[in-house]
Amino acid sequence: MYHWPIIFLNLLLATTLAYATEQTSLGDEARMIQASGKKHHGSESLIRKMHPEFLLHKRDRTSREGVRTKKHSLKNCVYCHANKDKKTNQYYSVNKSGQFCSVCHQKVSVSIDCFACHRNTPSKGANNAQ
Amino acid sequence: MHNKLNRRDFIKTTSITSLSVATIASGITLTTFAQRKNPVTNAKRWGMLVDTNKLTETDIDSMVDACQKEQGWGGEKYSIGNQKPTWIRKLKVKDKATGKISNLPLMCQHCEHPPCVDVCPTNASMRREDGIVLVDKHLCIGCRYCMMACPYDARSFVHENLTEQKEHMPRGKGTVESCTLCVHKVDNGEQPACVVRVNSEAVIFGDLYDPNSKINQTLKKIQSTQIRADLNLNTGVRYSGI
Repeated sequence: MYHWPIIFLNLLLATTLAYATEQTSLGDEARMIQASGKKHHGSESLIRKMHPEFLLHKRDRTSREGVRTKKHSLKNCVYCHANKDKKTNQYYSVNKSGQFCSVCHQKVSVSIDCFACHRNTPSKGANNAQ
Repeated sequence: MHNKLNRRDFIKTTSITSLSVATIASGITLTTFAQRKNPVTNAKRWGMLVDTNKLTETDIDSMVDACQKEQGWGGEKYSIGNQKPTWIRKLKVKDKATGKISNLPLMCQHCEHPPCVDVCPTNASMRREDGIVLVDKHLCIGCRYCMMACPYDARSFVHENLTEQKEHMPRGKGTVESCTLCVHKVDNGEQPACVVRVNSEAVIFGDLYDPNSKINQTLKKIQSTQIRADLNLNTGVRYSGI
């Protein structure tokens, strides 16, 4: 008889927790962009599904053809989606557990190879978000 | 003749000035933008001319230092001896007959027919349309055939895990790397870091094909040579004074 309220409460809790995780791992710059109501890239579902293809396409265009635009650049992903440790004022790596990339990648058991070579924190004075 | 500017003259001069500024500025912006947005073509061939007579040993050391600072190599903790990456190094050559000693900076020579590209099993080692020879680290499997094939010993292998790389130069364990002619700067219309550091006539960078470029004009005038020219690789980096 009482299972409906319990299910409802569980769902509510799960949604809140999921939202909280997404918010904390979103990244400082991205959170600011979101709060300001601006859109930095296409729909989230598109980016979630297609980001490997976008990055793969972009990497060949850049490293082989010298096209250096900011659209779909990994550098810009890292710039917006990195979180700062409030105490030390240092950036957490985006692929660190609990951070932006890892939240989904751990869930679906897909390892990320990007950061074996690419820098996983924004560099000092980086101001390239466009 | 009155010097006072009347309303009509003022409008005329200001509009002409602003129009010309706008035209020039938009031209500059468009060129820079086009350079980054469109794929590179073989209309250009980037090259470098090193005059060893004008280059002192300190200059060469500072070139190496500039390269390290720009690309972020040289700080490897666990690599020992010849495991350490060397993108550019100082080479001392001696003429046996006369005893003349010349110092020269040696890096990837950006050949037109690069042996490293010929031997690469995964097409990771590649030559861009504009003549810059690069390693596509996405495809590199670290077999090091290219290192063996290179007559200039210009390539290095990364032996350890790295962090805090430069944003424009991803580097990682298990891949081969070498001088990129600062491709990230060249694509933005800038000069390579070592050339900027030397900042003299001793090292000239530019488009070998462009008859108006300084490098093209200098190469027409002076005697220059390619290292191991007998291999017919047609290098992009040329030397004079050796």
